[in-house]
Amino acid sequence: MTSNRELHIPLHVKYIQALGDSKDDLMYHLTAHLRLNAIYWGLTALTIMGHKNALNRDEMIEFVMSCWDDEAGGFGPHPDHDAHVHATLSAIQILIMQDALDRVDVDRVTKFILSLQQPSGVFAGDKYGELDTRFLYCAVNALSLLGRLHELDTEKTVDYIRLCRNFDGGFGAVIGAESHAAQVCVCTASLAILDRLDVIDQQTLAWWLAERQLPNGGFNGRPEKLEDVCYSYWVLSALAILKKVSWIDAEKLTAFILSAEDLEQGGIADRPGDQPDVFHTHFGIAGLSLLGFPGLGDLDPVYCMPAKLIEARGLTKDWQGLPRRALGL
Amino acid sequence: MSYLSSEDDVAPLLYCERPEWQDVTPISQYEAVSSPIAPIFYTPEYKDATNYFRGVVKTGETSERVLELTERIIRMNPAHYSAWQYRYRTLLATNAPLDVELKLMDQIAAHNMKTYQVWHHRRLLITQLTSASLAKDPVDTATAELEFIGNVLALDTKNYHTWSYRQWLLAHFDDAGLWLGELPYVDDLLLEDVRNNSAWHHRYFVVFGRGSRSQATPAEEGEVLQREIRYVKDKISVAPNNPSAWNYLRGILEYSNTPFSTLLPFTEPYTRAYVQPTDDVVDLDNPKPSSDATLPCVAALDFLAEAYVRAGGDGVGKAVELWKQLANEHDTMRKKYWEYRIKEALEGKTN
Repeated sequence: MTSNRELHIPLHVKYIQALGDSKDDLMYHLTAHLRLNAIYWGLTALTIMGHKNALNRDEMIEFVMSCWDDEAGGFGPHPDHDAHVHATLSAIQILIMQDALDRVDVDRVTKFILSLQQPSGVFAGDKYGELDTRFLYCAVNALSLLGRLHELDTEKTVDYIRLCRNFDGGFGAVIGAESHAAQVCVCTASLAILDRLDVIDQQTLAWWLAERQLPNGGFNGRPEKLEDVCYSYWVLSALAILKKVSWIDAEKLTAFILSAEDLEQGGIADRPGDQPDVFHTHFGIAGLSLLGFPGLGDLDPVYCMPAKLIEARGLTKDWQGLPRRALGL
Repeated sequence: MSYLSSEDDVAPLLYCERPEWQDVTPISQYEAVSSPIAPIFYTPEYKDATNYFRGVVKTGETSERVLELTERIIRMNPAHYSAWQYRYRTLLATNAPLDVELKLMDQIAAHNMKTYQVWHHRRLLITQLTSASLAKDPVDTATAELEFIGNVLALDTKNYHTWSYRQWLLAHFDDAGLWLGELPYVDDLLLEDVRNNSAWHHRYFVVFGRGSRSQATPAEEGEVLQREIRYVKDKISVAPNNPSAWNYLRGILEYSNTPFSTLLPFTEPYTRAYVQPTDDVVDLDNPKPSSDATLPCVAALDFLAEAYVRAGGDGVGKAVELWKQLANEHDTMRKKYWEYRIKEALEGKTN
C-alpha cells in the first residue's frame, strides 16, 4: 500500500456535507445528544479546510436557535433536550464562526453557565450534576468568548484545577482522578484563558504529553493504552500552549493521521481501517493544522476555533504550533 | 426488584396499547422520523416509551409506574440522562427502598459500564442511603459497593468512570479499614497486568493522596515510603519498560523529597545493554532486570540522567551523555526533548 501523504480535502468536505442527509442512519439517532457538538466539529473542520460555506449558514443558525432551552437559559444538544454547558459552548462557537453571535441572549447564557459552578470550583455539565474539568473548560471558554470572563470567580476555578494535578504532572476529570490527555488539554487551555499557566509544572507535563506518542506515530491518552486520532488534538493543543510541539515526531504523527483517512467515503477514523466519524475528522484535521500541514488554516488551540476569529476578538494567548508548510513541499 | 413485568427479549405491549396508561398524553420528539434501519433500541418500543416519558415529565407525575417506564428506557438507552434523573426523583418521591434499587442497578450496569449515568445514579443512591436518617452500617454498604466495582473492573480494568467512582466512594466513607483493603486489591490487579496505569494511579491515591493517614507519625510515614519503594522496584524488575511504574517511583520520591540519587545502585543495571552475568547475585534492595528484559530501559536512562543532573557537579556531564544516547539511539522519537534538556543543562539552568 502506498503511503498516503495527501489530505483529501474535497472528499472530507463531501463527507461532512453528507452527514445531515442520513436521518435514516442508525448513528444519527443514537447521537442526538451530541448533535449540536457534531455541527460544531463539522463546521470547524470545514473552516480550517477552507470550505466554510459547504454547509448552509441560515439553516445552521436556525438549528442552533432551535436548541435554545428557554427555561434554563442555555443551549441543549438537540431541540427538546435540556441545556448543557458543552452544547452551550458549541452554540456560541458556531454562531461566532457564522458571524451571528447577536442571536444569543448573553445575560441569560452567562447566568446559566455561572449557575453550574460548584462550591469546590468545578463545573457541572447541567442540572443533573455530572462534574468534570471538561465542563469547567466549556464554561471558561464560553464566558471568555462572550466577553463575560470577569464575572467568574477565577481563584476558585484555578484552585480546583490545581487540586486535579497528579503526581505525574497531568490532570484528571475530578480531584483524585487519573491523568488523561483529554483532561490535560482542557485544564491547560482553561489555565491559558485565565492566565494561570503557573499552576502547571510545564516541563514535566510537556514530557508526559510527549510520552503519549507510540512507535506507530499515533498518540494515546494514558500510558499503555491504544492510539487514537483524537489524541492528536488533545495532546498537541496542550503542547502548543506549552510551546513544546517540537518535542514530538511531527512526521510520524502526520503519517498516522493521514493513514486513518477513509479514502472511499471521506472522513477520518479513530485509527486506520475503522469507520470515520465527524468527531475524529475534526480532531484529526485540527491536529494536522497545529502541525503546520500545508493548505490548512490556523486553529487556535486554546479555544479550538479558527485562529483569525480569536485574534479579531483580542483573545489570542501565547501559543505556538509548527510553522505552516507551503503547498507542494 | 425490577418493575418490568416481563424480560427484555419478550416483546411487551407498547404503552399506547396499555389501558392503564391511557390517562397520560404522550408527546413525540421534535423531528419527524422516517423508518430507520432497526437498531437494537431505536425501535417503535423506544419511541413509544420516550413519548410517554415526555408525557409524565410534563405533568410531573412521580409514581411506581414511572419507575417501570424509566427502567424500560434506561435498559434500551443508558445514555438517556433525563430518564435517570427523573427516575431518581421518583424513587425519593415514592419512598422506594434504595438498597433494592442498588441491587437492580447491579444487573443493569453489567450491560453498560461505559455510561456515566450508571455511576452517577449509584453515587446519588449511596449518598442518600448513608445520610443520617437512613444509615445502616455504612462500612457494610461501602464494602458491598467496592465488591461490585471490582466485578465491573474485572471486565474492563481501565474504565475511567469506574475508577473515578471507586475513588469517590473511598473518599466519601473515609474509613481506615476500607483504605487499607485497597492495597491487596491493587496488588492483585498489578499481578494480572503490571502495566495498568489506572491501578498505579489508584495506589498513589490510596497511599499518598486522599487515603494517606493524617495522623501518621514521621516514623510510620517513613516505613510506608520504604515499603512502596521496595514494591515499585520489584515491579520494575519484573517488567522494566513500564512507564507507569517509573512514573510512580518518581512521584513518590518527589512527594517525600527523597533524592533520586539514592536509587542509583538500583537503576544502573537497567541502563546497560544486557543483563550481566554477575547480576545473578540476588540483592533484595536492588532487584535486577529479569533475564528476558529489553535493555537498556529508556525510562531507566531517563531516570539516571535526572538523578545525575539533580546531583549537579560532574553529574551534569553524565546526564548530557545519557541524553545524547536517548536522542540519537534509544528514544529518537523524542529527540527534540532530549536536546532541550542538554541545552538547558549546558546553559547552567537549574530545573
